Amino acid sequence: MVLINNWPDLRQELLEGLHRLLPAASVISKREALRPYECDGLTAYRQLPGVVCLPYTVEQVQAVLRLCHQLNVPVVPRGAGTGLSGGALPHEQGVLLGLARLDRIIEIDSLNRCAVVQPGVRNLALSEAAKPYGFYYAPDPSSQIACTIGGNVAENSGGVHCLKYGLTVHNVIGLKILTMQGELLEIGGKTLDAPGYDLLAVLCGSEGLLGVVVEVAVRLLPLPERAQVVLAAFDDVALAGEAVGRILSAGIIPAGMEMMDNLAIRATEDFVHAGYPVEAAAILLVELDGENREVSEQIFQVRQLLLTAGATEVHTARDEAERLLFWKGRKAAFPAVGRLAPDYYCMDGTIPRRRLSEVLARIAELSREYDLPVANVFHAGDGNLHPLILYDANQPGELARTEALGGRILQLCIEVGGTITGEHGVGVEKIDQMCVQFHSAELAQFHALRAAFDPSGLLNPGKAVPTLHRCAEFGRMHVHAGQLPHPELERF
Amino acid sequence: MQTRLAPEFQNSAEGREADAILRSCVHCGFCTAVCPTYNLLGDELDSPRGRIYLIKGLLEGAEVGVETQRHLDRCLTCRACETACPSGVQFARLADIGRAEVEKRVPRPLPQRMTRYLLRWVITSTPRFSILLGAGRLLRPLLPQRLQRLVPIAKSAGAWPAPRHARRVLVPAGCVQPALEPGIDSALARLLDRHGISAVHIASGCCGAVSQHLAAPDEALQRMRANIDAWWPHVENGAEAIVETSSACGVMVREYGHLLRRDSDYAEKAARISALCRDPAELLAALPLAPLGKGRRIAFQAPCSLQNGLRLEGRVEGILHGVGFELLPVEEPAMCCGSAGTYSVLQPALSSALLTRKLGNLGKYTPELIATANIGCLAYLQRGSKVPVVHWLELLEAPPR
Amino acid sequence: MADCAIRLQEAVKAAYAAGAPLNIVGGGSKAFCGDARVGERLDVGVHRGIVSYEPSELVLTARAGTPLQEIEDLLASHGQMLGCEPPHFGAAATLGGTVACGFSGPRRPYVGSLRDFVLGARIINGKGEILSFGGQVMKNVAGFDVSRLMVGAQGTLGVLLEVSLKVLPLPAYELTLRYSCEELGAIFRCAEWAGKSLPVSATAWLDGALYVRLSGSQVAVKAAAQSMGGEILLQEEDFWLCLREQTHAFFHLESAQRLWRLSVPPGTPPLDLEGRTCVELGGGQRWLVSNATSDSIHDAALGAGGYATLFRGAGQERNRLSPGVAALQQRIKHALDPAGILNVREQ
Repeated sequence: MVLINNWPDLRQELLEGLHRLLPAASVISKREALRPYECDGLTAYRQLPGVVCLPYTVEQVQAVLRLCHQLNVPVVPRGAGTGLSGGALPHEQGVLLGLARLDRIIEIDSLNRCAVVQPGVRNLALSEAAKPYGFYYAPDPSSQIACTIGGNVAENSGGVHCLKYGLTVHNVIGLKILTMQGELLEIGGKTLDAPGYDLLAVLCGSEGLLGVVVEVAVRLLPLPERAQVVLAAFDDVALAGEAVGRILSAGIIPAGMEMMDNLAIRATEDFVHAGYPVEAAAILLVELDGENREVSEQIFQVRQLLLTAGATEVHTARDEAERLLFWKGRKAAFPAVGRLAPDYYCMDGTIPRRRLSEVLARIAELSREYDLPVANVFHAGDGNLHPLILYDANQPGELARTEALGGRILQLCIEVGGTITGEHGVGVEKIDQMCVQFHSAELAQFHALRAAFDPSGLLNPGKAVPTLHRCAEFGRMHVHAGQLPHPELERF
Repeated sequence: MQTRLAPEFQNSAEGREADAILRSCVHCGFCTAVCPTYNLLGDELDSPRGRIYLIKGLLEGAEVGVETQRHLDRCLTCRACETACPSGVQFARLADIGRAEVEKRVPRPLPQRMTRYLLRWVITSTPRFSILLGAGRLLRPLLPQRLQRLVPIAKSAGAWPAPRHARRVLVPAGCVQPALEPGIDSALARLLDRHGISAVHIASGCCGAVSQHLAAPDEALQRMRANIDAWWPHVENGAEAIVETSSACGVMVREYGHLLRRDSDYAEKAARISALCRDPAELLAALPLAPLGKGRRIAFQAPCSLQNGLRLEGRVEGILHGVGFELLPVEEPAMCCGSAGTYSVLQPALSSALLTRKLGNLGKYTPELIATANIGCLAYLQRGSKVPVVHWLELLEAPPR
Repeated sequence: MADCAIRLQEAVKAAYAAGAPLNIVGGGSKAFCGDARVGERLDVGVHRGIVSYEPSELVLTARAGTPLQEIEDLLASHGQMLGCEPPHFGAAATLGGTVACGFSGPRRPYVGSLRDFVLGARIINGKGEILSFGGQVMKNVAGFDVSRLMVGAQGTLGVLLEVSLKVLPLPAYELTLRYSCEELGAIFRCAEWAGKSLPVSATAWLDGALYVRLSGSQVAVKAAAQSMGGEILLQEEDFWLCLREQTHAFFHLESAQRLWRLSVPPGTPPLDLEGRTCVELGGGQRWLVSNATSDSIHDAALGAGGYATLFRGAGQERNRLSPGVAALQQRIKHALDPAGILNVREQ
């Protein structure tokens, strides 16, 4: 997106228009008040927005989009701002559109086993509201206490439960979106499927580029008769990785299977005091849920498998309170490392499970090479890796070194046959790695698809899918083994 | 987060303390989930994360004005964010430092300055408050109903047992509690007396919280020193605890040590006093209390200061349950009632929205009465509650009114 | 085993250059589905073979022309299966055709639809470019989900070359229960069961009887059967297979009868329509064999908050999309197939 010169005039016109459409409390324009909106959960990237809009209703959202489309002003949607890939990084000459005030739970429909919510509803709040009916909403990203359903849709969020119950895309059955032109489109609903192309699949994970989500219909699942978690400690991370494979090969699909390494264990124990074994090289948390006797049987099997795989201790949570405490620690793992270092950079890559131990060993090597500690947390069940690089942004050069290390780790993921992101999205953070993962025809296809939704390209520009020009520039700077990436693109 | 302190803050103790707190924040946003004002307003600027960022801006030398002031003013200082924060950010300390700096830089209109001054002037002096309340009570019948609710009727104190035991604890009287609810401290004294502890009542005036949270830190320090002077003889005589029956005051007294750490005359005493400070729940948990509950259905409002400041979540409920009360479920237990010290005067709209919500949650299963642990919450809930609101100590000592 | 990707790509490129329609054919098993097509036949059946299969990773990748039976046999030999048990509708069914039509079987609401199991796809778009989207891992949020977009697109957005699928372990134990009840009772029973964590893996009501399949560990299945009651059916495998493949007597059509598929919210009460109904997928899918008019059926489905599809029989498809969504779908089609050559319908 090219910056324009007459922005001050355009901004004035924009503000006048917004003040006509929205209540005063919905338009933020003073620089002092814009600053807290300059980043989301990824603080390394900051950009003051042109204007912030916080509408209360769908009609207001629509009016803002129409005005921006008319004035050719980019729009960046934002939920709770907990994203870790900079997806809600504002545009300097654009509107940051906050959806947090659309926070109504419209309906919990127990007959049809679904719920209809506005995008600003917090993930955990939905499950809490469904609980009295005996249901819950399965996708549970670690930030679920604060993150919004709208954000979950944009990022196709996963979480601990996604091994057994799927990602957001597997649990969304309907969406209402507003296009950049302000057209309201309704896709799906309470039915199992919708006619025509699977637009729900395309919209989940579209990172705010295709439309602004203003209503979501989701599948609810019955609360399991019983849920139990088994904690296992290992002296060696590789053994923990192998244990994971054994459990899956045995035909058991746990409701969740998570691993933390020693640094992560220490940080989270400090916060939650769950009794994690702080000397262990790694711990595995394996959750089993379902019918009472089946769970008992599975716990027995899992315990056996863990012990034969070399676990030094295996502990089943003694009651519901302890089970929740074990998970509370894991879910707070990222920010808890804030106790170890002033800043952390959370990586998000996915690799085939069988390569887990090898990848962890190489990350440890890289950590030594770059002299930066790395705590590791992962969704062991599906190989989604979150190395947390600990650093101090106030130290000159450390952020750059951190990003370099991060890039090497993502490269490693691709090398072993995985991808550069699992659930945090591409945002701005991994946009360069997109040039490595996809070739130019594929990127062009993404752009063509995006243009089908938003010909103007005003919705969240500069995120998720790099332009070919950017890839050419990136390729120029990263000549590898004498070969220029994207040789088909012209250089200027 | 990365910080670049402006030179004037790099060399000040407050600046360095604030910087350390800022660096512990990783901007994850978990705090937004539990913040009452973010819940009501949906604006990042009215969330702990946003407020931290505004204070960061101030300390980095950015221009601050009424925007920053307004959003910091709206903070309840309920500390729910501290409990939710996985990184251990000491939000309340940062807010105190930030508010004091904003107060120096951003002028307030005269009516605001007057209200704040009057609040401090009236509340921090027990005699002054009592006199004004007395006058209010005289005039009560003449007031419109809306204002009548603000002037609670007078209550009797009940007997204070003579000091007869070797074990002694100190019970500071506080600022408004003697005039509003004189029965609370005496109930504690009688309870402790039956279990071998004599409570010494001491007039104390405000613990300092009002001044501290109204961005008058020097005035707060004066109050703290005055209290320390009054309490120290008793500490030297072997008082084994200083028991604050209002949880909010308990939080404040526990900070005396930190706030006076650089005062060579008071540092040691302040640290000792903070170490001696106890909430009644901590003393009573181990005592064999009479089963007065008889299955009566009550709702307990756990003050924010008790849950988040003192980290005593569940203790009082445990004691009440243990003596036979039926504690009804209360939804959104971490959501502030809106009293928050002087907040109900300074932010009436937000405050009353929170009050309505809290009363709705407390009343959902029709309790006989509501129990709480803090005078501010008590007086505020009484304004709108259809059932009596009492301090939980009174439930253990005398039949509830 | 044969890798014909380049040959297929050449054919598409040529067609794109000439603007000539292509009729993509796998095994021809689902030719009944949708309207007749025009254009030169592009036989994808020759592009076949298992590319990779990692049982411990629960992932299988195969070329689009691979017979579905071959895949299922391979999975079964490792104690695994395609979770959504897609119908074949003919011995020649291929992976590509299955994905392109997007039909799922009875297990769908309990484990996921076919689209839910697609992890990635390699395609030839309408310009003759070979593109890969997704991958071999479940979690992949890089770029737009074009691979899942292919599911049910009936070949109009691209020629499938390869698909990666998540697979599931075969259940340890299964049994089917049978209850006599009317349609409304069946719908409510299914709703009731859906609110509990029971190991239900399929439901179907037809001819005054409700059939429920339970799958999982023997312990769990037997405990559930005990609490649910009902008559235990023997040889239930045949029943579910017949249902899925529509060889069951219910699906036999007299001349002029038509088979409709209605997708409605699962708790929808019985629809007042002439003909006989089979209620499947926990209530979310209703098969209707009827002589009623198209309009009355479409209206009934819409009124219930769903939609209807003419599955078998003569008649015009009605556009059930709102104008805005229909226009969007056209633009999406254009983004992937700008010359409009893939699986063009006879006008």
